[in-house]
Amino acid sequence: MGLRNQPGVIGCAIRPVIAPRDRSLEEVIYDTAQLALTDAGLTIEDIDGIVVAANDQFDGRSISVMMASGPTGGVDRDIMSTPSASEHAFVLGALRVATGQFRTQLVVSWSPTEVSSMPEAQRLGADPYFHRALPLDELSAHALQASAVEQVQPDARTAAEAVAAKNRSHGQQAWPQPPVTAAAGPMRWPVTPAMTSAPVTGSVAMVLATPDFVQQRSLRDVAWIQGMGWATEPSFLGDRDLATAPALVAAAKQAYDGAGITDPISAFDLAELTDATPYTELLAYEALSLCPRDQWAARAADGSFAQGGKLPVNLSGGVLTWNPVFCTGMIRIAEVANQIRGRAGRHQAANVRRGLAHAGSGFAMQYQSAIVLGKEARA
Amino acid sequence: MELMERQETWSITYNHALGETASYFYAKIRDEGAIYGKRCAKTNRVLVPPRSFSDETLLPTTDWVKVGPGGRIEAFTIVYEKFNNLPDPPYAFGYVLLDGADTALGGYFKGIDLKDPAAAAAKLKVGTRVKAKFAEKRTGAMLDFWFELA
Repeated sequence: MGLRNQPGVIGCAIRPVIAPRDRSLEEVIYDTAQLALTDAGLTIEDIDGIVVAANDQFDGRSISVMMASGPTGGVDRDIMSTPSASEHAFVLGALRVATGQFRTQLVVSWSPTEVSSMPEAQRLGADPYFHRALPLDELSAHALQASAVEQVQPDARTAAEAVAAKNRSHGQQAWPQPPVTAAAGPMRWPVTPAMTSAPVTGSVAMVLATPDFVQQRSLRDVAWIQGMGWATEPSFLGDRDLATAPALVAAAKQAYDGAGITDPISAFDLAELTDATPYTELLAYEALSLCPRDQWAARAADGSFAQGGKLPVNLSGGVLTWNPVFCTGMIRIAEVANQIRGRAGRHQAANVRRGLAHAGSGFAMQYQSAIVLGKEARA
Repeated sequence: MELMERQETWSITYNHALGETASYFYAKIRDEGAIYGKRCAKTNRVLVPPRSFSDETLLPTTDWVKVGPGGRIEAFTIVYEKFNNLPDPPYAFGYVLLDGADTALGGYFKGIDLKDPAAAAAKLKVGTRVKAKFAEKRTGAMLDFWFELA
């Protein structure tokens, strides 16, 4: 990917749902960071830098990195935060490894449900000049996008319903005995309750390292970053064509160029795509050059993206199964990394050599990232 | 053992400066019952709501342009939840590209029965013509106007 020090993922801890309330948020962060270090076979003494990502409104703390430095091991260590998106913390951690100034990075993100109303907390993300007077939270933004998509692709609702059924089916296989069952989301027409799941508390942590570090420690289960891309759309929804995802097109090009991928549909063994609603997964199919929109309904119906299909998408069950809102993007990346490392658990696929992770965050996926991970150090 | 929680409620008031551009926009809504956008001289795009600079060209916008009151729906949703300090649900809101504008303005849709979401959605279909309506008593706020089917 043109980086002197190609970063590899050497440890992951994915906790997409944390139901018991016997741990405080700081303790949840501590648990998750420790799990990732254990998975990597490292201790905090091996970590050269830390990047965290959190949402201050959800946490109920301003500058939430202040409280996170203790639980992640950031005291007297290099630690930075990215409040924009969890996947941005991953990108920053990877770039820090790539500079060669750091052998390792610990990246941690979390998303609690301690606020009385997630929609109200999300409304703080809207500008106070023109948009606070609207019920504009992330789900409203997704619903607005869905209405625009349905207009330009009339059978999009049929495809969306099939995508929702696919991901829920995957989720039931990945989580046969879930500690809790996520409630259906509220109605924001045209997004129906069956197309979303209510927010849950979750967290994720990953450990990244340089090739030299991997070699020195004789680490074997590594998912190498073969390509990365990220881009951002305008913050005002009215400035955007919501039926398209140009930032993801740009991010995909950057990631595919880095990985040397010219035929995406045949390049991957599986993918994890952000399915905040099934419409966002459909838009990602197109923007990632996996499926044009006029084939959404046909490919959703014939199981092309289901388990056993040409390109299984969201074997984890995706966001439609567990929705820890802020850290869902980084969880998509960690899921792909674990598939390549052979540590995905119940939904582990066979012989995964290369996978694609898509992270879309914010109002109608304002922030878009694409990450190509592979078993081989070089694409 | 007993697991305890600590409930906290914070009430902080912010007085956000709107700046000259947004102030002009709201003053025109309040005093004239009219919506104005601002033009980017380089691209000729008329930005609504108005911005003092284009985030596309990063150049200051120049002249004011009166837009609407007619326009077409670009996106919509119907909400059935209560939000703080907003009208009682259900309500429909979305984005409308007003005549003469190049970006869409957010606002509420009124005058449509929302009990049956599918039936209401058919009336609010993207592309439908609407018209901005203004309250008799206006304070210079987003709730001074709404959209109705043309």
